[in-house]
Amino acid sequence: MNKNDIDLSIDFCGLKFKNPFLLSSSPVSNSAEMVARSFEAGWSGVVFKTLNSDTTPIIHPSPRMNEYGYGSKKLVGLQNVEMISDRTLKDNLADFLYLKKKYPGHVLVSSIMGFSNDEWAYLAKVSEDNGADMLELNFSCPHMAVEGAGHHVGQAFDLIEKFTATVKQSVSIPVIAKMTPNITDMTEPAIYAKQGGADAISAINTVSGISQIDLNGFIPKPNVFGLGSVSGTSGPAVKPIGLRFISDMAKCDELALPLSGIGGIETWIDALEFILLGASTIQVTTGIIHYGYGIVEDMIEGLTDFMVEKNISKVQDLVGKALSNLKTTDKFDLKRQGRAEYDLTKCVGCGQCYTVCKDAGGYALDWDDKNTRPVLIEDKCLSCMICSFVCPVPDIISYKEMPATWKRKDACVMDESLKAQIKYQPFKSS
Amino acid sequence: MEKSYDFSQAMTEAERCLLCHDAPCSKGCPASTNPGKFIKKFKMRNTKGAIRTIKENNILGGACGILCPTARLCEKECASSHLDHPIQIGKIQEFLIRHGRDIGFKVFEKPVSNLEKVAVIGSGPAGLSCGAELAKRGYQVTIFEKMDEPGGVLRYGVPSYRFSKEYLKSELEDIVDLGVKFECGNAIKEAGEAEGLLNKGFESVFIATGLWDAARLLDKKPEGVYDSVAFLLSSHTAQRDIVKGLVKDKKVAVIGGGSVAMDCAGLAGRYGASDVYLVYRRSFCQMPADDDEKMESLENDIHFLILNQPESYVTNDNGAVSGIKLIRTQLSQPKGSGRRSPVEVKDSQWILDVDLVVEAIGNKAFDNSDKLYPCVEIDDKKLIKASLDNCKTSMQGVFAGGDIVRGPSLVVNAVQDGKTAANAIDRYLIQRRTEITPKEG
Repeated sequence: MNKNDIDLSIDFCGLKFKNPFLLSSSPVSNSAEMVARSFEAGWSGVVFKTLNSDTTPIIHPSPRMNEYGYGSKKLVGLQNVEMISDRTLKDNLADFLYLKKKYPGHVLVSSIMGFSNDEWAYLAKVSEDNGADMLELNFSCPHMAVEGAGHHVGQAFDLIEKFTATVKQSVSIPVIAKMTPNITDMTEPAIYAKQGGADAISAINTVSGISQIDLNGFIPKPNVFGLGSVSGTSGPAVKPIGLRFISDMAKCDELALPLSGIGGIETWIDALEFILLGASTIQVTTGIIHYGYGIVEDMIEGLTDFMVEKNISKVQDLVGKALSNLKTTDKFDLKRQGRAEYDLTKCVGCGQCYTVCKDAGGYALDWDDKNTRPVLIEDKCLSCMICSFVCPVPDIISYKEMPATWKRKDACVMDESLKAQIKYQPFKSS
Repeated sequence: MEKSYDFSQAMTEAERCLLCHDAPCSKGCPASTNPGKFIKKFKMRNTKGAIRTIKENNILGGACGILCPTARLCEKECASSHLDHPIQIGKIQEFLIRHGRDIGFKVFEKPVSNLEKVAVIGSGPAGLSCGAELAKRGYQVTIFEKMDEPGGVLRYGVPSYRFSKEYLKSELEDIVDLGVKFECGNAIKEAGEAEGLLNKGFESVFIATGLWDAARLLDKKPEGVYDSVAFLLSSHTAQRDIVKGLVKDKKVAVIGGGSVAMDCAGLAGRYGASDVYLVYRRSFCQMPADDDEKMESLENDIHFLILNQPESYVTNDNGAVSGIKLIRTQLSQPKGSGRRSPVEVKDSQWILDVDLVVEAIGNKAFDNSDKLYPCVEIDDKKLIKASLDNCKTSMQGVFAGGDIVRGPSLVVNAVQDGKTAANAIDRYLIQRRTEITPKEG
């Protein structure tokens, strides 16, 4: 198989996408001027910045965003307090017409958010009438302080069903419901959306969070003239949360809807992980905020090369491919055990493994002072593998399964004689 | 000059640090600086703690960060070298001290100074380090300095493009804040004057005068031939513009291959010399200067004339230097593990046309140092005899350290001598106190 045999296109709610990669509804999809450039860069579609019906004036707080860093690593996460589109509905709809005229092969998804049943219906209708191929219902914007809007809806499941139903009655194009992660179980609201008629689910919107506090003024950031706010956190830091919710919904037989995966995606590997857990389209914002639209080139090329390598020609064949290997922890085979295996050929002698094993692992390493090398005490190794996470050299530490006869030593008791003084009765369940 | 770090660059570098258990870098410093500890503190955003770790151990932590040949000290031991390249410890250290100054962080509180008076002669790295350490312990320290301002080699030796006066000023402020008094422009130049301070209210004396005479290459020194000490010193005094005028648009040769030679060549280049030649009789690798200094010189278009031995100076009608007669050399066949030495190539003399020459072949003690310190034993190199373990001289109460004991050495070694001397002086004075104090009862 070679690159020409690879088909990245995917069917999502009956619409064909050239590839699974879309802009999500956010600052990166704010206007046709921007979106056109993204299409030129290779994105297959856009979920346009959530429309406003002009009844509520939208003024974004200033400044709007704050960066969440880790040491010198920038933008591990991003916190933003943006609202829905602050453009007039007419401006946005004119941009819809422009995009559909200029890029008929690209998919235009209109994100909408109403404050009432009527408004939902209205926004759905004008979107469809002006070229939107699909709708995404924003049940999840974390910055709407008004009851009955944004993620307040996403947390009040009957409203999800009601508004979805309203929209479905108003239009004939497919409808995606976008979920907030700021709940415990996402399958529940997703099923409400399905009952309302939703054709697909997208997740996750941003995670409610606080990225940073200005230590001088004691003001959470972004510091909007002396005040901060709990608001939406996104970027690589939230990817594990996104993957989890997508997999939950993908495994939910009652839901059984196509999924659009969102949350910290920057590379083809991130995207593929969402796909392997059940997403068939991918939406990106923070990755673009960090690196620009150009990252899609690497997503396309990277995924293509991977598929050549794995001899898989259609993206569809990758969707949900990891799900059968995802189970609850009670399904693990606990009889099979192993330990860390050290090959010290390339060891540089930093001893980080020793430090973490001593203080956070099983104290299964001794330190050879003379040669500055760790010495594994095999039967004390817990196989937590944290040593391998801090080791700066690849391939020194690997996992090795041990035979069934292998026994791990119990953690040491400092003074066995104290056992005589224990006040204790074995627990008996009544 | 390589650009110094800002906060995020320093942090990025600190993040490369492997935070070694039993950090090898921390064993590589002659002055016991603990990079393993201060880099970890910085990485954990305990920035003030990192600065404190450096400064409490080494009052000249910033100077050492800049001037230390880290590649052959702490960084040589760095475990990251086995991955790609060592952590730039010196640059992180320099940043931290500068950052502390920028945020107004003071490591030390002024100690109560109620212990004995101690005199320190010379305000270079050894004297400053000893003075600061003693002041921290409550001694009343006076540092005598013959020049107008304190700093010794840090002010009058190293070119200011390598170590700025502002940086020196802030490190000196910390020492002043500790209560150390400076008597500048007060040379201890009479025979026996240093030892005599013991009779003038000082209970102990630390001699750290450094080496301020230059080794001479050729006895005949025509006009236009300078020694490195005078040449570098001039850049810090009113002489600067005069010397600069002599160098500008002229061909300059610097003779020597050590750090001081690199400094002289660098200075001549900055003065606007049309060509700067570095004449060295051995090979490139045998030059004692550090690799990064050599590379920087090459990048600054210094012409390296290696394997060339000066024979004599050529003069013009006015008796001023107009060239150097050089003879080509080859390295001898290796003998065992010994260094290969340069052997002159027969009939290979040639003349390098130059307008000005700087001899930079090493600093030495003044010829009269035996007369200057009549009570203290002096060796045949005119250096003061003192143990590196405790800086004790042959005279009780008089201690010595730094280059006047070691011969030409590193700033960091002088710093360590200052600390060693402070410990020894402290022990000596505690001992004396117990002997003098009449027992009660």
